Formats: sequence, C-alpha cells, structure tokens
Amino acid sequence: MLLNDTFRAAERSLNRNKSRSLLTMLGVIIGVGSVVLMTSVGASMEHLILGQISSIGAQSMVVFPGQQEGAEGTIVAGLDSLSFEDINALEKLSTVTSVAPAIMVGVDYATFGREKTEPRVIGTVPNYFQNREVTIQRGRLLEESDIRAARNVVVLGSEIVDDLFGRQNPIGERVKLGARSYEVIGTLESIGTQFFQNADEFVFIPLTTARAQNVQKYVNVVSMQSVGDFDLAQYDVETLLRRRHGIINPEGDSDKDDFIVRTSAQANDILGAVSLGLTLFITMVASISLIVGGIGIMNIMLVSVTERTREIGLRKAVGAKRRDILLQFLVEAIALTMFAGIIGVAFGLGLALLTAAIADKFLPTYDFVISYPSIGMALAMAFAVGLGFGIYPARKAARLSPMNALRYE
Amino acid sequence: MPKKKNPSTAPLIETRKLCKSYCNDELETPVLHDIDLTIHEEEFISIMGPSGSGKSTLMHILGFLDQPTSGKFLFRGEPTRTMSDDELAAIRATRVSFVFQAFNLLPRTTVLDNVILPLLYHPTIPPSERIERGMNAIEAVGLTDRATYFTNQLSGGQQQRVAIARALVTSPDIIFADEPTGNLDSTSGSQVMEALQDLHDRGGRTIILVTHEQSTAAHAKRIIHLLDGRIDSDSKKFKRVTAKNNHNLKK
Repeated sequence: MLLNDTFRAAERSLNRNKSRSLLTMLGVIIGVGSVVLMTSVGASMEHLILGQISSIGAQSMVVFPGQQEGAEGTIVAGLDSLSFEDINALEKLSTVTSVAPAIMVGVDYATFGREKTEPRVIGTVPNYFQNREVTIQRGRLLEESDIRAARNVVVLGSEIVDDLFGRQNPIGERVKLGARSYEVIGTLESIGTQFFQNADEFVFIPLTTARAQNVQKYVNVVSMQSVGDFDLAQYDVETLLRRRHGIINPEGDSDKDDFIVRTSAQANDILGAVSLGLTLFITMVASISLIVGGIGIMNIMLVSVTERTREIGLRKAVGAKRRDILLQFLVEAIALTMFAGIIGVAFGLGLALLTAAIADKFLPTYDFVISYPSIGMALAMAFAVGLGFGIYPARKAARLSPMNALRYE
Repeated sequence: MPKKKNPSTAPLIETRKLCKSYCNDELETPVLHDIDLTIHEEEFISIMGPSGSGKSTLMHILGFLDQPTSGKFLFRGEPTRTMSDDELAAIRATRVSFVFQAFNLLPRTTVLDNVILPLLYHPTIPPSERIERGMNAIEAVGLTDRATYFTNQLSGGQQQRVAIARALVTSPDIIFADEPTGNLDSTSGSQVMEALQDLHDRGGRTIILVTHEQSTAAHAKRIIHLLDGRIDSDSKKFKRVTAKNNHNLKK
C-alpha cells in the first residue's frame, strides 16, 4: 500500500468520526496548549525581569538594612541599621563611587489643584539617577545645589504626571506633598517596574529637604557603583559595614549581617533559579497532560480497532499485509495528535496573547514573547505521543487473523 | 463442460489428504479429514453442507485465509507449503477474492471507493488505472448509476453486487462466495446469483460458492457435499437453475 493511500485512509476514517476525533484530541490540545501558553508567559516574565535587572547596571550595588536568612532568603529584621554615618564612611571608600542614599518619606497624597494621587516620595541625591537607568522627559533632574540649599523642588514619575496634570506641562507648577508645597523641576519617562515596585509612581525630592521634615535617622536604601573590580568593591563595602556595626563575620555568612547587599549578578542567579524552577514545573505539568492525552488517544484507538475489526478483516482478506494495517492505524493516531498539536499551539498562543493584553494593564513593560523552540518541542511531543500510544492499538489491529476478524460481531 | 482439456495446464486447485484441526486448550478438534479435491479453471462449484460440516474452513484454506494442518495443497500445480502472513496476503491480493454473507462494505464510503479498495493493496496495478478498473467492475454488476452513492444508501441486493464488483476488480483466478444470498430476500438473492452466473457464463470466471441452501447451490455446475469434514458427494449438474430478472430465489 502506498503511503499516500495510507494517509487518505486515515483522513477518511477520522472524518467519519469527527466529534469523537475532536474529543479524543482534547487532551493533547490542552497539553500542547498549556506548554505553549506557559512557555510564552515564562519567556515574557523572564524578559520583564531581565529588563528590571538591566536597569540597575552591571557595576551597580544596592545595600538595604535588614537581616536575611540564607543567601537568597527572606529579609527578617531590622530596618534602621544603616545610618547616615555609614553613608559617610562608604563615600570615603576608594573602590566605590556614586554613593546614593535614599529615604522614604511618609506622604499620603500629592495634590495639584483638585487633582489628587498617592505617590511614593523618595528623598535622595543626584547620584541616585546615575545608578539606575532613568530618562528625563521634561525639565531637569535633582542637582547638587538643590541638595545644598534643601530646596522644595520635586521630580515626578510619569504616572504621577498623568494623574495630576494630564496633558498639561507641569514644569514650574507647584504640587503639594502632604502639607508642603514643591516646585516641579522635571518629569521622567516611564520606567515601569523596578524590583517589583512601580517606579512610575515615585517622586523625588532632595535628601536634605526630606530629612528636614523627617525625624528618621536611618537610610532605607543606598546604591553605589564599583570602581574597578566588582568583587573587591563588594568585599570592601561588607567589611566596612561589619566593622562599623561590630559584627564578627569573617566567613561572610549573610545570616549574621544586619544589612543586605544586592548586585545584578545575584539578581541574575535568582532569576536563573526562578526560571529553571518555572521551566521544570511547566515541563512536568505539560508531560502529565500529554500522557493523559496520550492514554485517551490509545483508548480511542483501541475502541476503534475493536469497532473496525471487520474492516480490518476485510482489508486483510483483499490483500492488506500486517505492515499496511499497522501503518494505517499508526498514521491515524499520529494524525490525530499532530492535528491536536497544531490546534493546541494556536490555542496556547491565543491565550498567551490574551494574558499579555491583561498583564499589560498591570505591568506596562510586559511584552508578548513567543517561545519558538517550545512550539517545536510541543509538536514533537505530540508526534511522539501519537507514535508511542498508537503503536499498541496498531499492532493489535495488524495481528488480527483475517478469518476471525471477518466473523467478529 | 467448461473444463479446459489442455494437458499442459495443471488444475487450478488440487488437494491431497488435506486435513485441518483446531487446537483449543490442548484439545484438538478435527474439522477436515483427507480432502481430495481438484478444481479446474472456469468451473462454477457449490460447496454444500450443514453447519459444522467444515465447508467454511475448506473455503478459508482454499482462499488463503487459513492454512491446512497437513496434506497437500497445490495451486496451479505449485505446492503451497507453510507461508508467512505476508505471503498469504500477497496471494490474496492477486489470486483470489471473496464475497461475504455480510457484504463487509465500508460504511459512509462511496461505491467506487469500496470497489477499488483491493487495488490499494495490489502490487502491480498502478494507481492511475484504479478508477477505470473500478468503473468497469461496477458496470459488470449493473450499478454504474450508483457509483458515487454511499454504500449505506443502497439496498441489500445492491450492496452485495458492490461486493461482487469489489471481488472482480483485481481479475482474480477464483472468486469465493460465502453464503452470498444468506442475508438477502429471495428477489435480491436472485439478482445476486444472476450477477455471479453472468460472471461465469460470459466472463469465464472460476467461482466457488459456499452455501447450505439447495436453491442457491443449484445455480452451480458442480456440487460438492461435505459432511463431518469429509466429501460426501461430488456431482456435476447438467440442468442447473438459471437466475433471471423477476425470478425469485426459492428459500
């Protein structure tokens, strides 16, 4: 029997049982669809997180107060362990530069006329903007003179601009942060999320201005850049802070420190672990659904073999060899799974697109990413499922004795 | 007598001491005993006998659907020893064909596609000839106007004629008909017998008819009676029944 005829025979038999074929394919459709959906979402997330990490810069280092359980564990205690004296000491280190302390100012609302919004107010220094990738949209950033004079000036994140001013030019206008009034000197391009905070709802005032109205004696975060070797800079920073805080920790055990150092290399490691975990999880879920789908296919093919026993007998009586029957049923099973695979890919991409459309509302930097290798892999798996689960029923069909098959009631 | 008297031509089928027994749970059940049978080309034979007499088993062996337990089976003078499944399939594809009691047509498939089914497995007939051969076979059973119908849209008698066309399409050496009128009313049965007789009388085909009905067997020129797995009688008929239109097959 020619291969061409085998394909036609398979197509006809599947066509004869359309609704059953469709139901049978459902398992594989869902399996393949979920692989494509999850890998696309995973790739998009990776893209998103990579974007956040790259916004710190490879030479940047961020130090938080607090204690951590394990190298990548949760922050457990202490938010007041980084003092301004620590900052002064850090600035004297030769291996780091662009030291930028920042403090959070507790302000409930920012208002302009009747407009009102909830900002996150950060008091900082010009270096802050150098350590992160920030693009100015209008006006200017904070300058040293603003710090020295403790001016009441503010740089607004893009979402705050939208909320308070709409399409008006905010430069030179005055906004109220809590009770105090500030002059808008600059606005930022949309940044999106940074470290899972929406950086577009940040507003920046001079550190000195912030300290003048804030009794807080400690720093919420300090960012800096290394000069020369990055590891050496990190070592210097850690050694300095341990000495100043009286921590004896020669092994560099992060459990004992009362501060946390974050670097982009570390973030990359975490990302790697997260995405590996995600990939393993997806693969497991997808494998289970494909196996379940495959068992469904095998089940239906076995029913089909029983149902078509007489047809098999007839085909054998008119000269079909074992191989012909084997191939016919195998091609049917593979055609079922491949067709299901293609529908599954379309279905998965559709859902991924939908996810992207929804995610875009919450995460402006979320991009729709198609993972082409995973589509290829999903289709290959569909093929393998058809082959693997089709072979048993096909062999069963091929081995039927023509006489008994013809007599089958 | 349609028998060819050419001495150089070996008989189509020759069996010597052919035996067949089935083994079930270590219990051997003999079905056929020492069958000696010679069948020549262009014969029209009825194999008769009550159920259990072994007539179907004999047909299965002669039709290469099954193999004998012992004895000789010569096909065109060539011994057919133990053959593999694939070798049996190859002979079924080219040499013999079957008409079954239950028609065994593919449902929801056209008459033409049913008729050309054996050509899919034929080793030498090229795909380009399939349609023409199929249509010729359909014409031979008088169903040209039904060629594109689905088989389930046809009457029982028409379905059996489609099965005959299917048996004809590969131009086999022998057509086996196993109770071809068993599922039909007398009018349809008569039409089917007419088609088979026509193939023999005008087409010169060798036909072996297996039946338990005297009236159906009477259409053949030679009748072999089987009883308990042995040939009980083997007689030539000189006055056979001829099936014609509007003539009902007595049951």
